[in-house]
Amino acid sequence: MTSLPFWNPVICIIAFVILIAIACLFRSRGQKKYKEGTAQTEIFLSGEEPPAVEQRHIKSHNIYWGFFQTLKEYYDPTVRAHTGIINDFIIWLIAIAALTAVILLIASLT
Amino acid sequence: MVVTSGTALGAVIGTIGLAAFGIFCGLLYKGFDRKIAAHMQSRIGPPIIQPFLDVSKFMIKDSVQPERALTWLYNAAPIVSLASVITVLLYLPFGGLTFTPILSGYGDLILVVYLLILPALAMVAGGFASSSPFATVGAQRKMVTMMSYEFPLAVVAIAIAWKLNQLYPGESVFGLAFIYSHPLWGHVGPAGIIGMLLLLFSIFVVTPGQLATVPFDIDEASPEIAEGLTAEYSGRNFALFYLADAAKMVAVGTLTVALFFPYDLSPLIGISGPVGSFIDFVFFLLKLFLVTTLTVTLTRVAVARLKISQVPTIYWGATTAIALVGLILLVVPN
Repeated sequence: MTSLPFWNPVICIIAFVILIAIACLFRSRGQKKYKEGTAQTEIFLSGEEPPAVEQRHIKSHNIYWGFFQTLKEYYDPTVRAHTGIINDFIIWLIAIAALTAVILLIASLT
Repeated sequence: MVVTSGTALGAVIGTIGLAAFGIFCGLLYKGFDRKIAAHMQSRIGPPIIQPFLDVSKFMIKDSVQPERALTWLYNAAPIVSLASVITVLLYLPFGGLTFTPILSGYGDLILVVYLLILPALAMVAGGFASSSPFATVGAQRKMVTMMSYEFPLAVVAIAIAWKLNQLYPGESVFGLAFIYSHPLWGHVGPAGIIGMLLLLFSIFVVTPGQLATVPFDIDEASPEIAEGLTAEYSGRNFALFYLADAAKMVAVGTLTVALFFPYDLSPLIGISGPVGSFIDFVFFLLKLFLVTTLTVTLTRVAVARLKISQVPTIYWGATTAIALVGLILLVVPN
């Protein structure tokens, strides 16, 4: 026995497949029919006309909106720092390399 | 580990039995939750068996598939959600020390933490597949919530395993059966006790997020986005999500009990054998009920729903900081 985490994926997948079968069996006991092509299958949008299908999905940029909003004090300066100008990136590279060298120097002296 | 045909058959029967009992307990707890919440708000509330009646009604209602939905994914999501929650139960010490997890030795605490993501991911996939604007907003919110609570939950899990490794080096400290049989409270000093309490508080904050209950039910937010993720689900598909939610309540509660309240009653009162096991099982269900009532029922009655932009602040800020302080207090020798 080891103190490291352990996992047997084969057993996990077998158990998962068995449970999928049980869930499918249970689902098959339910009502299968519905009124296709009627108002029943229209999207519910509180009485509003649903937008076109291609406009219903959230754009990938907005998927993590909650994070961007919460961490905007971090993101805003970070985005501003990404100017796209190669000179700026080189300055960042030199600055970080210099900082790393100083840290390593201090670490080697202590 | 060698798997014989007898062991495999026993595991399959055990899996079916655990699935049935886990769902039964989950629905029962849902009934208690609704009843207790109603009484706290000076209402009579539905009967305790209402969740069972709900499921039986869902099964006879039309299972509508919205037009333009991605049908295969829309139908598969509830099945995957339920199956993955029950898979988690197979690794947990459900019922106390006498009842070894069915898949004990094949997965550990880290696996359970990751597997708990699967039901939520299935719901997100189902929400996106349903082609509903409400559901896609709900799915987006669910993703953000999920990513937020994983961090403090991981800190809690690592803290417990780290301390156990200090006390029992070389042992299987990530195994749920091992964690359940080695309570920490008696092996830590005053600072460690405070650390454990902080970690317990953190997992109490994480639980409503895991279960999408108030104040973290932003992905459903009935008055705002009409149940969000499940806005377009009905009939048997919705029934599966409902059952998955009930079973997840049991799974998350069992995880909390295993990490923080791994005590049995039988050694204390000096009863062993089948009677002792039965007493321990009842005691376990009682602990599960208390944990669920505290983290779900009392919380959802006492507080209001948060905004989605507040959720990462609470989880990544305060809750993670509290969990990290708890970790430090727990693992630093004192």
